[in-house]
Amino acid sequence: MNIIYIIICAFIFNFVPVNTAFAHKVIVFAWVEEGMIHTESQFGSKRKAIDSAIIVTDEKGQILHEGVTDAQGNYSFKIPESIESDLIITLKAGIGHQGQWRIPKADLIQVPSKDDIKASMKEKQNLEASPSILKIFAGIAIIFSMALVIKFVTRKKGRK
Amino acid sequence: MHISEGVLSGSVLAAGAVIAIAGTGIGLKKIEYDRIVHVAILAAAFFVASLIHVNIGPGSAHLILNGIVGLLLGFAAFPAILTALLLQSVFFQYGGLTVLGANVVVMAVPAVMVHYFFLPLVGKSPRLTFAAGFLAGLVSIFFSACLLGTALWLTDENFFETIIAIFMANIPIMIIEGIVTGFCIAFLLKVYPEIIPVKKK
Repeated sequence: MNIIYIIICAFIFNFVPVNTAFAHKVIVFAWVEEGMIHTESQFGSKRKAIDSAIIVTDEKGQILHEGVTDAQGNYSFKIPESIESDLIITLKAGIGHQGQWRIPKADLIQVPSKDDIKASMKEKQNLEASPSILKIFAGIAIIFSMALVIKFVTRKKGRK
Repeated sequence: MHISEGVLSGSVLAAGAVIAIAGTGIGLKKIEYDRIVHVAILAAAFFVASLIHVNIGPGSAHLILNGIVGLLLGFAAFPAILTALLLQSVFFQYGGLTVLGANVVVMAVPAVMVHYFFLPLVGKSPRLTFAAGFLAGLVSIFFSACLLGTALWLTDENFFETIIAIFMANIPIMIIEGIVTGFCIAFLLKVYPEIIPVKKK
């Protein structure tokens, strides 16, 4: 009797819609561009994963960076320094909603972005705009002092 | 034109350092006793030239003067440029100490080249003297930009866009440097011919 009861129950439950933790699948997609890692996060239903945590770890699980997606489900960050392995980007969009994307180490070669180059050029221009007069004269004095020393050291050779 | 620290790969930096040391060794050996002061004058001029900025459109550029240094000094341009770049690096953070060898190669190799290409023209006639100076200034910057691009390309092929940008930015400098060098050589030939090696012969 019990066995028949169990079989009937199992048959009925088989038709009950199951709402598991993976019902709202989340997807995170990441790519490298101009020294930055860009991510796009969404639920399987194409709904954007807003205000969701992005956790970046190496293969050992060490957290290298953390952030939160914006209103478009996007999040961008600079490539972390001194990377020794592939990067694993984990999206956490609430309880039971988790997605991952792996970026191979080879893709993470840091190429300076246009913004980096502009910023460093600006910094260089500022530095170059105001050279110290004292340092200029010091530099010229050092050059001529060196010449005098060389001339003094090689004076015997010069007389021959 | 100065390459900053942390841009080039270790192998490119090492190759630059080796070439710079070799060039400086040859240069020091070739400096004649009577020319030591000339080397100092031109090293000082090179040291100061990078600090004078000329506004071109939205940006600004500075003279390099490796053309005139090379034309007048030949291989002695190596120690002159090395000294000037070392002082620029220490005093003004131009370039850097680890990248010093590469920067010396980028600026001194074209300088030596123009010495052998264009010095024979100096003193033949006023026009040829100016032309030799102009071409020395222009060609030295051109080859420096080529060497800089090569160093970046050997480090990372993704630098291609940066190389093109650097090359384009240097086109006005090539022309300005050519004109400045042309006038300087013509002027020096009149007022201080001893500094020009061709006149000594």
